[in-house]
Amino acid sequence: MKKLNEYTQNVPLRIITIQVVAFVLLTILGVRLYYLQIVQGEYWSGRAENQRVRFIPIPAPRGAIFDRNGKILVDSRPTYNVVISNEPLKKIDVSDRVPEYSKGLNLEPDFVVERLNLIKKQNEFETLVLKESATMQDIAWVESHGLEFPELRVELQPQRFYPYGTTLAHVLGYVGEISPKQLESETYKSKGFRPGDIIGKGGLEQSYDEFLRGRPGYRKVIVDSRGRVQSEIEVVQPQAGQDLISTIDLDVQLAAEQQLANSVTKRGAIIAMDPNSGELLALASAPSYDPNIFVQGSKTPEGRKQIAAYWQDEKRPLFNRAIQGKYPPGSTWKIPESMGALQQGVITVQNSNMVCGGGIQIGSKFTRCMGSHGAPPLSYAITKSCDGYYYRLALKMKVEGLIQMIETFDFDKRSGIDIPNEKVSETPKSWKPIIEKREGRWSDIRTVYAAIGQDTVVVTPISLLRAVASIGEHGKMYVPHFLKEFKPIGAVGEEGSTSYFPERPGFGFDHPEPKQVPMTDEQYELMVKGMWGVVQGGGTAGSIRIAGFDIAGKTGTAQVASLGKDVGGKKDHAWFVSFAPAYKPEIAVIALIENVGFGGSHAAPAARGVYEAYIAKRYNGVPPADATVEPKLVAKR
Amino acid sequence: MVAIIEKRDLRDFDWLTTVLAIAIASFGIWQIHNALPADSYWTKQIIGLGIALFAFFVIAFSDYRRIIDLAPFFYGFGLLLLALVLTPLGVEVNGQQAWLKLPIIGQFQPSEFVKIPTVLMLAKYFGQKKHGALTLREVAIGAAILGGPVGLIMLEPDAGQAMTYFPILAAVFFLSAIKIRYVIGGLLLTAIMVPAAYMIGVKTGKIKKYQQERINAIIDPESVDPRGYGYHTIQSIITVGKGGLSGIKGETETSQSVLKFLPEPQTDFIFAVTAENTGFIGCISLLLAYALLLSRLVSGARESNERPGMLVIMSFATALVFQIFINIGMALGFLPVIGVPLPLMSAGLSALLTTFCAIGFVVSIRMRRFVN
Repeated sequence: MKKLNEYTQNVPLRIITIQVVAFVLLTILGVRLYYLQIVQGEYWSGRAENQRVRFIPIPAPRGAIFDRNGKILVDSRPTYNVVISNEPLKKIDVSDRVPEYSKGLNLEPDFVVERLNLIKKQNEFETLVLKESATMQDIAWVESHGLEFPELRVELQPQRFYPYGTTLAHVLGYVGEISPKQLESETYKSKGFRPGDIIGKGGLEQSYDEFLRGRPGYRKVIVDSRGRVQSEIEVVQPQAGQDLISTIDLDVQLAAEQQLANSVTKRGAIIAMDPNSGELLALASAPSYDPNIFVQGSKTPEGRKQIAAYWQDEKRPLFNRAIQGKYPPGSTWKIPESMGALQQGVITVQNSNMVCGGGIQIGSKFTRCMGSHGAPPLSYAITKSCDGYYYRLALKMKVEGLIQMIETFDFDKRSGIDIPNEKVSETPKSWKPIIEKREGRWSDIRTVYAAIGQDTVVVTPISLLRAVASIGEHGKMYVPHFLKEFKPIGAVGEEGSTSYFPERPGFGFDHPEPKQVPMTDEQYELMVKGMWGVVQGGGTAGSIRIAGFDIAGKTGTAQVASLGKDVGGKKDHAWFVSFAPAYKPEIAVIALIENVGFGGSHAAPAARGVYEAYIAKRYNGVPPADATVEPKLVAKR
Repeated sequence: MVAIIEKRDLRDFDWLTTVLAIAIASFGIWQIHNALPADSYWTKQIIGLGIALFAFFVIAFSDYRRIIDLAPFFYGFGLLLLALVLTPLGVEVNGQQAWLKLPIIGQFQPSEFVKIPTVLMLAKYFGQKKHGALTLREVAIGAAILGGPVGLIMLEPDAGQAMTYFPILAAVFFLSAIKIRYVIGGLLLTAIMVPAAYMIGVKTGKIKKYQQERINAIIDPESVDPRGYGYHTIQSIITVGKGGLSGIKGETETSQSVLKFLPEPQTDFIFAVTAENTGFIGCISLLLAYALLLSRLVSGARESNERPGMLVIMSFATALVFQIFINIGMALGFLPVIGVPLPLMSAGLSALLTTFCAIGFVVSIRMRRFVN
């Protein structure tokens, strides 16, 4: 011992120094431990819980859509998605995943890169769909590569399916992922929508989204660091969406679409409506699109190409001509105009005669009539579509009278149809202030043009049908609609628990009171007599007469370019607007064929096709006994 | 080598140190079980403890002086093993060729075992020293003795293991009358050189991106990309913090290690597992046990009547403290992630066996304190 205590070495002191240093180091560890476990313990405990507890949504089936006879128009079928979770990716360079995924799942490398960038940006532990509608091969590939690519998982996802493809596309709309723009808008934000949520886009899918949509459930699970489920803590079952019964009659709809497909230009719109309620039996717009492309295709390059092609197509297949298209109504305009003149007392039932004169001279310009009709009464002017009569009638009504009529028949409003993006017609009411500002005054020639539904008049087919159909109903204008009823859906979960979804009751369309256009019985008789004559009385649509089923209608041939000019390629739009049986209407039909020529020879036969389908369906092809009237009522000059 | 166990041996045997080491190792086995209950690490560790105890008793009842006399032979054999690791007999794990696979014996990590002959070699040489301050010649020879194994370990490369050798040399120098001004100078130089070397390393690209990130992770673990190299650090902190005062009380199914959030829970991060399962109370108890063990070692060194014995004990004690501090400091998120096992706790036969052999020497030295 002694020799170790030499001054030069001083070993005991040095040993103690080492011991002190050792204890200081252990004390540092103890202090740090106290800080992490006692001071910050709760915070870290919460962090640990957050990273191991995960909510896996259970998608709720969306309500199906049926036609009025219970035929299924839209439903959801189970599909499998390959989803990617970001957690296992965070420690690795994902660039080597790109060729693997694109080869294994048959995806475009660019798309894989895009998705990987998106998932990297998401919060921790989020998932994103990498491939929708995975095939059996895709599923097998994912399952067999579970160890290599723990970030991939196959998930069941009900997918919207439109069994009839292009049929009814504009009415039904489609569903898709909520867009970033929509996510930021107040309407969606306030309802708690999240990225990746599926919402209705267009048509009934959009307007009744909140009822069709189910309420998703979830599984609360414990996951490991790779996001693999270890155990389940809680399950909240989803509540399915409500089924929608529509007013559509699929057979009538198919007939209407067939008529458009058979037309020369294959462009136009046909609407069939029950004028007694506003229930829409058919609404066709051609050309159409396949909603399935939007549902399935937005994630595949081919699908996106097809969608882009739809947007770029000059024929505008995505455009719903029936409620968004605005066309000069041509002579069909004479029906609401005549009614307006009667209401305003410009003509009376007893004395409704006006001079035809073969046309009219305004200043230096002579605007002619298609024929020479003498001085016919109103019903004859309708039957023969005498332009000269209406030039003079409109001049007598003045533009103010026309505007009053426009307001009476709601041409300055939307019809209120229950699908989105309906457009408002343009009329002298909306144009007069603009014209007066631009030209200083509203000249008579504009009144003359407006008399025959040209120039400042462009209307939507739905607004025209609604106005004309009201004539057969003694002036009752109903709001056109597709909703017949929503079926109720039962409650899910235990009452009082947080996972309880209460019952959702069924309901029908909330009918607003029909607008009543003032109309006397005599005025009604006179109007219908003229319209009846168009088909049954040697009028402009005599060729479409159906034995035993009288149609009251009006043809229209609307010039597309400036009046009185031959425009070659841009042929006239053909119109036919009608209801039947004439004196006891059950169905009102409007047909518009774009750039095809005369209404009587193109649009009227299309409407006839729809009526025939209706008769075949409703009456087994045999019209009811009281659907005709005596020929004594034929309008005379 | 094994001496006949005499009655006197049993009387002077350091039972407290022995029981303490076995207790810590048993506690470690329980934590290895908590870390991965479904895996066989903990059962292997029980077998490992049995083997280690056998080696421990053999060494404890041997005369350490004869073993120190044979130090050059063991040292040479150690260097041979380290060299063999670099031959095709070596096994590569995670990019480090640190393992040797031999028939019958199986797979082991020579860099752990070679600490013992290195310490013995240093003790043999510096044990002769009697007078005066440490000379340059002595420093050079000490450095050369250490340089052999450290150089070979760096070739594996296993910087973590190599690092654990330096405190041994530092302790030997310190106890061999190195002048205090050199100690202070050395500390100052380290304080300047470490940041300077880091800066230069970053500038010249010698320090790789992931190494930088590991260092940034300890400076500010919250701001570092948790998907990157900060992941280990932040997960370890979460695991430790989650333990709170008294741990998770048996809820191992949702523990950080079972859910695989905590990497390497049975080895590098065994302390985080301990913290999660037994809380502040368990961890402080473990630290106190280590402190007590160290105190026993140091008192053994102080009571030793021979320089070589004193140097062996203090070398082992210093290496032990250094490893404990590096490993737990890493688990607590204030030191970078370096693969250094926690003595007596981490799963792994090589480390456990080495530590028990070292303690065996300590007990042997202590037992012979009254001899002569």
